Order: sequence, then structure tokens, then C-alpha cells
Amino acid sequence: MNFMIVRRAAVYLSLSIATFISIFPFYWMVVGATNESRDIVTGKSTIGTNLVANFQNLLAQVDLAQVFWNSAVVAIAATVLTLAVSSLAGYGFEIFRSRVRERIFQILLLLLSIPFAALMVPLFVMISRAHLSNTFTAVILPTVASIFIIFYFRQATKAFPGELRDAARVDGLKEWQIFLYVYLPSMRSTYAAATIIVFMTSWNNYLWPLIVLQTEDKKTITLVISSLTSAYTPDFGVILLSTVLATLPTLIIFFVLQRQFVQGMLGSVK
Amino acid sequence: MNWEEFMNLFASRWSRLLGTTMAGVGMLTATAVSASELTVWCWDPNFNIPAMTDAGARYTKDHPDTTFNVNNISQDDINQKLQTQLLAGVTDGLPDMVLIQDDNAQRFLQSFPGAFVPLSDSIDMTKFASYKVAAATYEGKSYSLPFDSGVGGLFYRSDYLEQAGYGADDLNDITWDQLIKIGTDVKEKTGHQLLSMDYNDDGMIIMMMQSTGQWYLKDGSEPNIVDNAALKASLEAFQKMAQAGLVKSITGWTDYTGSFTSGEVAAVPQGVWITGTIKSQPDQSGDWRVAPLPKLDGVDGATHYSNNGGSSWYVLASSEHTDEAVDFLKTVWAGDVDFYQGILVNQGAVGSLLAARDGDAYKASDDFFGGEPVWQNFSDWLSKVPSVNYGTFTPEARAAVQAQLPTIANGGNIDEALQAIDGQLRQQIQ
Amino acid sequence: MAQTRFDRNAQLNGWAFIMPAMMLIGIFMVYPILWSLWMSFQVGRGTNFKFGGLANVERLLNDPVFLRALTNTCIFFIVQVPIMIILALLFAVALNDSTLRFRGLFRTAIFLPCVTSLVAYSVLFKSMFSGDGVVNNVLLATHLVNDPIPWLTDPFWAKIVIILAITWRWTGYNMIFYLAALQNVDKSIYEAARIDGVPAWARFTQITIPMLKPVILFTTIISTIGTLQLFDEVNNITQGGPGDATLTLSLYIYNLTFRFMPSFGYSATVSYVIVIMVAILSIAQFMIARDRRRTA
Repeated sequence: MNFMIVRRAAVYLSLSIATFISIFPFYWMVVGATNESRDIVTGKSTIGTNLVANFQNLLAQVDLAQVFWNSAVVAIAATVLTLAVSSLAGYGFEIFRSRVRERIFQILLLLLSIPFAALMVPLFVMISRAHLSNTFTAVILPTVASIFIIFYFRQATKAFPGELRDAARVDGLKEWQIFLYVYLPSMRSTYAAATIIVFMTSWNNYLWPLIVLQTEDKKTITLVISSLTSAYTPDFGVILLSTVLATLPTLIIFFVLQRQFVQGMLGSVK
Repeated sequence: MNWEEFMNLFASRWSRLLGTTMAGVGMLTATAVSASELTVWCWDPNFNIPAMTDAGARYTKDHPDTTFNVNNISQDDINQKLQTQLLAGVTDGLPDMVLIQDDNAQRFLQSFPGAFVPLSDSIDMTKFASYKVAAATYEGKSYSLPFDSGVGGLFYRSDYLEQAGYGADDLNDITWDQLIKIGTDVKEKTGHQLLSMDYNDDGMIIMMMQSTGQWYLKDGSEPNIVDNAALKASLEAFQKMAQAGLVKSITGWTDYTGSFTSGEVAAVPQGVWITGTIKSQPDQSGDWRVAPLPKLDGVDGATHYSNNGGSSWYVLASSEHTDEAVDFLKTVWAGDVDFYQGILVNQGAVGSLLAARDGDAYKASDDFFGGEPVWQNFSDWLSKVPSVNYGTFTPEARAAVQAQLPTIANGGNIDEALQAIDGQLRQQIQ
Repeated sequence: MAQTRFDRNAQLNGWAFIMPAMMLIGIFMVYPILWSLWMSFQVGRGTNFKFGGLANVERLLNDPVFLRALTNTCIFFIVQVPIMIILALLFAVALNDSTLRFRGLFRTAIFLPCVTSLVAYSVLFKSMFSGDGVVNNVLLATHLVNDPIPWLTDPFWAKIVIILAITWRWTGYNMIFYLAALQNVDKSIYEAARIDGVPAWARFTQITIPMLKPVILFTTIISTIGTLQLFDEVNNITQGGPGDATLTLSLYIYNLTFRFMPSFGYSATVSYVIVIMVAILSIAQFMIARDRRRTA
């Protein structure tokens, strides 16, 4: 029994250390948002009094409401579409196997490894010939069929019990009904994880929106933060405030969806 | 078949397909820019953005039909956007004018011939500091309206030097070896290192080298490394400083500016644009002075005048308003001396228009620097900076030099380092 | 008869489910990939290209910078991926224990790094690991070292900082996948094992790991690709330095594309080196996974 207590203590200790290491930069970022730039540079890490001034400076430079609206439209649309299209494909690859589709899947994995920089120029040519330059459509569409998320859903589907499908088929459900009414509800934790990941990726996406979006009224928060850092003497108070604001939506989504990771809450599939 | 034909072949088919697919989705087309709005890309909200905005306002006053839309886009972002779109041959997302750093300009001019408007056709370039004009000259034409100068000076803490027994005169017309002697004394007496340097940035080496009229490349494309006496002397001076413990090695821009705004190091050899950062600490007012850069020892043509950084305005040939843009640059940037007084006072921007230094603002003395007429000094030095041809491969050359800086600082053999730089550069530019 | 109709149905459904994704990938990836493949056989700069055959491959083999970038990338991959995967797995299992207190707090905290902005954390990492930064101060004060460690200015230590930085940022991210996968593991198996007196470590290796194998394989491949494409950290924290010590293939591709005289053919060739490495590694990882399944 003593051994159990020691082990428990070790678990708590290592989790606490990890928590401290993980939280510290975040804490520093939040504290930085309340300080003046020169205090931040000299390493001050206590709450300051400059939050309101930083906020006013930020508002003077950036149309915050517009920027957040842009980021939200892009990230929400991308998340919904990506989850729909990519989970269908991941399920399809795993449940209905054939030699041809296996080959396609292997090729997809290789496509995933091509650095985006190599594909950007031709993709940009296509987008502008289709007169989609400077549109959110152009930012979202190329990311919707995410090989990464297809791959993730395929791997997660391996844990989806075959008996459930068989039972549903005996009940006369069509394949799309099985997907919608049996698979989808029982994979809630998988969807929750994918939502967090896709939303975050899309919200933080930088290089492609930078190339495609041209006018100020279309800029997303990531592009704005990048331009805030451009000065010869950057104002770190304003930069850190904007990074704190940029982080909030992903954090909220994580807070809401992490309940799906609590064991037993959604009830076992069986 | 060249690449463009190939691209057309595929792109048109795919795009047509894409276009029809999209039509149903309901596409948001780019908003049309009003007929006389000039869009400008530049990057510093404390510096070139307000300068450009001010210039625009002055022009709009006399030309109410022309308005300006100045966008804040970081320098890296500008490079990415410009390069992708020029490479793709798509120009509808490009601005009318763009700011490009001088040592970065030639690769754009040479990679994308015809993409920029040759300004020397309509603007008299002799009005500007000649080395700035040379930086943007390609095949006999100059493409830029020279903006801020990176003319170098040695900013130093007079209070630290005084404690070691040195005054302002001891820093006039000296060599780097003499500065090393001073730096050693200062370190002994006050504990402050002489200067700080990021080994990922060869800015100081560049300043030392250009003060002799030499550059990493000869004729713009041939490596000038192994037989470059100025480069060798620069690296030797750097090594001596590093070995004497006078160089505080830092990483990144924040650390760099922090090292002198916090009062840690005694001197900052840098382009004039650093003035604003130095003055950002009002409590150090009166402690700072600016001396001319030290000279390299034993190198032909060594001077006290050099440059680091600085950028210039370019007009995109794809703009629908090239005539207006050129007329604007000609009227304000190449003619309005009063405008230059304003941006000097408000943004600390030392322009490259030679006539500007006769204005009042340039003659004023600055209490932050103990009442020295710093702007007058800088603009005198500006006219004497030796011209060099930055050439096409400056970023490659800088990367090759940066790769060797840590080894050199640790006492590595300089001839071997030069060989390695030469080898890497030749490989990169083939 | 019934069997063939069933097969045909499965075939049709198989295609139907993957069709939307395949169409989008076909539109947005096939042409760009053909273009970049074709470009990798071109030499020249800017918009002047000519066919160079395998000239770019030859250039690659003689390029000292490429070899440095390749070596660094391999070091990062070999050292960092296993550390991170194991850490993430241990955290996930610990946090999946319903008797643990403060689970929500720990879970959120460990996930935090991957939402913390890159700008903020690169500025902070640089200042924490600078010569007189907080890390050195702590090490000196506790007499763990006698001289400050040149974290960012020494080639070896700069690599360590990058490995610490990626591990810090991505461990919580990988943990999410394991936490989600653990929900699909039947709890009754654990209870049965516990009643049978199977010790915790054995439950971890005998039950948890095999059950999570698909997701472990997934995260390993994704992390492999992520590390081979490592760019953000090295670009923001060390700029590839000091002296190319942390230059990665992706940063080199970026330099070739945006910082140097544009040489698209050559940067496309370097890109395909990553593809080939991923191909080899993925095949190896799949083979290992398959072999284990056979022997099991």
C-alpha cells in the first residue's frame, strides 16, 4: 500500500512540474499584456498597469472586430467542412477496404509530407485564375480535404466495433444512416479532438492566408500579429495583448470540448 | 515549352473547372480599388508607415483625386507576397508601391525584369546620395526612390568611457584596433562589454567592409571573398574583439536592443535608424554620443563612412496608376525639403535627398546626445559613403558568412573560414 | 449471388464516402504537385527556366548547406519524436485515471503550450535561455553548473533548446489524440485485469499500448512529418544559427524560395527529399507495426 502512495505522489509531482513548465510562458504572455514594452524586454514578470493603454494602442492600429470576424468565419467554416469531408473519407477508407483504395491511401500519406512552400505558387496561380484571390473561399477550400484528419479518422475508426455496424445493418440501416446515427454519436471524443485540432490549425494558419488575402479588410488575426511585429522597435505590450486575444477562442473551444475526454461521461459504446 | 506555357496548359483547365464549381458556392470577388487610390506596402508603424502617410497627405492636398492606402505588412511578409505573385505571373494582388530593403533589391530587379518602373527615366537621381541610387541601378536604369539611409555611426555611452578616462576626441578618426584598446580599458574599469552582436547577423561585418568600398560580390555576381582584404580585416577585427571578451553574444532583435537600452554594453556601431531605439530610454538622455565609425587598419580605401540597412520605394509596373505614383514620388519624395524636416523630427528618418540637410531640423542639436548636431553629422557622412554593387546574391553571401561567425569568434582560422564561405557561396549561386 | 451484391455495394459505398475528399484533393493538390515535380527538373532563376534533367539532384549532393540541414533535421527527428511520444502517452494515461484529482486543470495546462502564440513563446524562450537568462541563473544558483551554458550561441546547446521547445509545444497536442483514443478502450478489460492482479505497468504495456496502437502509429507518422518539416521554432528562436547549427530542411527551402535569389526548381528538389524520407520511414513504421501484429 505504501508503494501505491509513493506512486501516486510521483504522478502528482511530475504532473505538477509539467503543469508549471507548460503554464509559465502562458502566464508570461498574459502578464506581458499588462506591461509596457520596455518592462517586458527587461524581464519584468509581474502584473503591470499598462493593459488599458496597450488595448488603446492596439485598437488604434487594428480594426479588432473586423479581424476577429474574419478569423472566425474562416476557422468555423473550415472546421465544419473539414470534419464533414475528412471524417467521411477516413471512415470510408477503413470500413470499405479495397486494394485500389489502399494504394490511394498510401499515396495520400506521401502527399501529406510535401512542404507547402513547394505547392504554394501553382496553387496561387489556380486560385487567381479562378478569380478567387482575396476571398475566404480561397483560404478555406484547399484545406478542407485534410489528409491529416482523414488519416486520423481512419486510425480512430479501427476502434469502432464491427458488431455495432453488423447490428445496424441487420436493423436495415443504409450505410449513410449507419455513419450518421451509429458511428458519429459513438465517436464523439474523436470528433472533439479533431475539432480542437482543425480549429486551431485554421485559426493559426499563416502562410496561405498571407499569400491569398490582399486587402486590409480581409486580414485574419495571425496576419495582423505578424504585421505588429514588423517595427524596428516592436511594442511588446501590444503584441502580447494581441497574442492573448488570439489565443482565447482556441482555449474556449478546448475548455468546452475537453469534457468529451472524461472517461465514462458519454457512456461506453457497448 | 517554357514553364509559363506549361502552367497555362494546366492552370487554365483546372481553374475553369474550379471556377465553375465555385460559381455555385457563391464566390466573393476581390473588391475593386477606387480609380485613384494608391496602395503602398511597408512595415514599421513608427517609421516608414507614418512617413509615407505624411507624404501621401501632402500630395493629396494638391491632388484631391489621389488618395493613399498605406498597409502595414512585415518585411518578411512583403518578400513572400511579392515573390509568390511575381513568380506566378499574377499581379492583381500587388500594390502600386512597395518598400524594399536596399541589399535585397537586386534579386527582385534581376529575377523579374519589367516588374518595376524605371524611375530614373523621370526623376533626377543626382539629387540623392549616390550609393543609395547605385543599390537600385540595373542595366543602366535606377528603379528606386531612395528613402531612409542606413549610414553608420558609433553610438557610445560617454559616461562609461569617461570612467575609463576617454573623451569625445579620443573617438574621432580612430581605427578598430584603437577602439578595441578603448573597449578593453572600459571593460576593466566599468565591467561593461564594448558592444553586442547576434552571430546570425553580419551587419557589423558589412559596415566594416563597405567602408572601404568592397562587398561580398564583385560586379554583382562574382564572389569576392578569398582575395577581399577588407573582408579579411573586418573578420580579424571582429575576432580580436570577441577573443578579448568585448562582444556580448546575443540572439534575436529583442535581446540586441535590450543589451544597450538596459545600459549593458558601452557602444553600438549601427545604421542611423537605430537612433529611435536608443532614444527610447529618456532616462539615459545626455549619456549618449555619436562618433564616426572607426576605420579598418591597413586596408586601401578605408574610410569612416559606411552603411547598414536602409530601404527605398519601388513602383510596380503592373499598377494601373504608375503615372500618378511616379509623379507623387517626384513631387514629394524628390522635391519637398520641408517634408524631410518633418519625418526627421517625427520619425527620426534620415532621408537620402541631399538637399534635405540644408533644412532647419537637420541643423538642430540634440540634448539626448549632449547637444551634438547628430543629424548634421549623419547627413555629412551620408554623402561620403562609398557605393558598392550589392548584386544579386547578397542574401546567399550573408548566409555563408553568418555560418562561419561562431567559429571565427571562437578563434578559428580566418583563411579557412574565407575558403568555406567562398565554397558555400559558389555552390549556392550556380 | 447475395455475396456479390454485397461486395458491389461495399465497393460503391467505399467510393462514395471518400469521393468529396478525393475531388478536393484532386483539384487542389494534383496540379500543384505535378507543377512542383516538373519544376524539380528545371534550372534557372526568377522566371527564366530551362530543363536541366537531374542537375538539381547533382547540385543537392554537392551542397554543404543541404547536408548540414539534412543532418540537423535527422538529429531533431531521431532524438525528439520518441521523447515526445512517450511523454504524451504517459501524461494521457495518468490523466485518464478517473480517481486523479485536478484532472481538468492538468489536462488544460499541458495542452496550453500548443495554443500559446509562437511569437510570444519564441520571444520568451530566447530571453529565458539567453546567457544571463533565468535558466542559467537557476542552474548557477543551484550549483548544477559552474559557468553559464551558452544555450543559444553554441551549436550543440542551440539544438538542445530547439528540442526542448518542440517537445514543450507539441506534447500536449499529441496527448489529445491519446486521450480521445482511450475513451474507446473498454473499461471492463482493465477491471478484469486488475482483479486478476495484473500490475499497473503490465496493464500499460499489455493492454493500453496494444489498444492504442493505431493512434500511436498515427501520431508517430504525423510527428515524423512535423519534425521533418520543422520550421517555426528554428526560424523564430535561433534563425537556423548559430552557424547553421539548427538549420532544417524546411528553413532551407524557405530561404531558397523567399530569402535568396528565387530558385524554385532547386527548392522543389529539396522538398522532395522530405517526401522520400517520409516514404522510407512510413514504410518502415508500417512494417514494424505489421510484424508485431503477426507475432502477437
